[in-house]
Amino acid sequence: MTRTWALALVMMVLSAAGVISCLTTSPRLRPLGDGLDVRSLPEENRADYELFAQRCSKCHSLSRALDNGHIEDRFWEFYVERMRHQPGSGIAPEEVPQILRFLHFYSREGAPGTEVKESK
Amino acid sequence: MSSSRWIVLASLVLALVALLARPAWAVERNVAGSLQLDYHLSPERSAPVGSGPTFRGFTTEAAVKLSADISNQLSVNVKVCLGCHGLETDMAALDYRFADELSVRVGRFSPSFGAFNLRHDPANHRLSDKPLAYDMGRMLRLRDWNLGVLPSPFPDNGVEASGTHWFGSTVQLDYAAHLVSGFKGASGGTDIDWVQSRTGSLYYVDNNDQPAYGGRLALTHRFSQNGDVTAGTSFMRGAFDPGAKLAYTIAGADVSLRIKRTNLRIEYLVRRQDLDVSDPKRYRYEIPASGGDHFLKHGGYAELEVPVTGSLDLVGRFDALYRSGNVLVDSPLLARSGIFRYTLGTAYSLQRGLRLKYSTELWTFSDPGYAGKNSAVSMHIGAATAF
Repeated sequence: MTRTWALALVMMVLSAAGVISCLTTSPRLRPLGDGLDVRSLPEENRADYELFAQRCSKCHSLSRALDNGHIEDRFWEFYVERMRHQPGSGIAPEEVPQILRFLHFYSREGAPGTEVKESK
Repeated sequence: MSSSRWIVLASLVLALVALLARPAWAVERNVAGSLQLDYHLSPERSAPVGSGPTFRGFTTEAAVKLSADISNQLSVNVKVCLGCHGLETDMAALDYRFADELSVRVGRFSPSFGAFNLRHDPANHRLSDKPLAYDMGRMLRLRDWNLGVLPSPFPDNGVEASGTHWFGSTVQLDYAAHLVSGFKGASGGTDIDWVQSRTGSLYYVDNNDQPAYGGRLALTHRFSQNGDVTAGTSFMRGAFDPGAKLAYTIAGADVSLRIKRTNLRIEYLVRRQDLDVSDPKRYRYEIPASGGDHFLKHGGYAELEVPVTGSLDLVGRFDALYRSGNVLVDSPLLARSGIFRYTLGTAYSLQRGLRLKYSTELWTFSDPGYAGKNSAVSMHIGAATAF
């Protein structure tokens, strides 16, 4: 077996392990497709999520952000800033605080393994 | 400018970036990746001679990317990918943002061109394969056509200056200009050698000392909170032979409309490719006194992506490739050859980050080719994950 195919095999196994891990995790917020079911979000976070979902799904899947495991505000500040500079991102500077507000909420209360406040 | 001057210039840019970079108190790192396994069912067999294989059966594409945000201004990205031709360096570059209006990227990266390349990762597009104009190996008769107009991605060594500017909160202007090594080909070449252009086994260095150059300009108008339209134009030009006597020029235009999760994308590319006509006997047709020293390759697509449910997307795409110009004596193509491809596909999110893809493609060819047919049907079934 060549080194290339061995590497491919390892990556497939790792990915499968990741998928199984996700399937056995019970997130507090209901997933829907590539993102979240907006109805499972607290009322006050829905508009923030809608903006995040609209802007951040333009070039990549939402799972890139929702499942990357980071919870630090500083990380998201840099991350969103880098994304905002992508050509045609459509993320206006004044929208950044709203997107960060959702990511702050999600990192602390919505990501797998964290508690989320019940929707009213 | 000589190669030594380029090296000095590149060193100065790197030194400037290093001086301006803030101390790395707390580097924020992120690892992201993707994997796609695709099965391509195609009844079209390989030709006995001359026409290379169509990539049928299983293909795997995987990529891992490390991003490090050292400060709000400085970030570094390294991405490696595994495709049909082994392990490749898709990206190894640093970005320094002086302001929204000016960022500088240095290293190995795909220069800004067209709309599709930003989404070239298989986890970022709904169909298993790329538009024909950007195809890198899944098209039928790929050897006859020497792939599409600009196989994507197209990482290269160089520098790019780019920026974005908002006019109010509804209009965004993006621009970029780059200097890179450029694509490669043989002396006396009749087309770009894509293998030589991408492979590290022949060194990731240019085969001549003439950088290729190009740029992109795009305007995005947001007409509602959930709707925007982008129009862009791109260009690149360079010499591909060791003697830097033969050139390629690629131009493109694109329009993308997005309303909520529905996307309509239209893109057109054309490549003007110089031919070495010093030995006319190599060609099937007589070389005219003027205009016979190049060929044109056009490619375009229109793609509509519609969400049917929260988890299911429906995708329809129409592709075309058209080549005009002289051909080598043994080419299965004619002076004017074309392909139409009609694709209908679905993408289903089994769970967040895992997408199942299915598509059927109807191909029509202007030439029967070695296969002796003017049409074919193929099918893709695959799974893609982003992590």
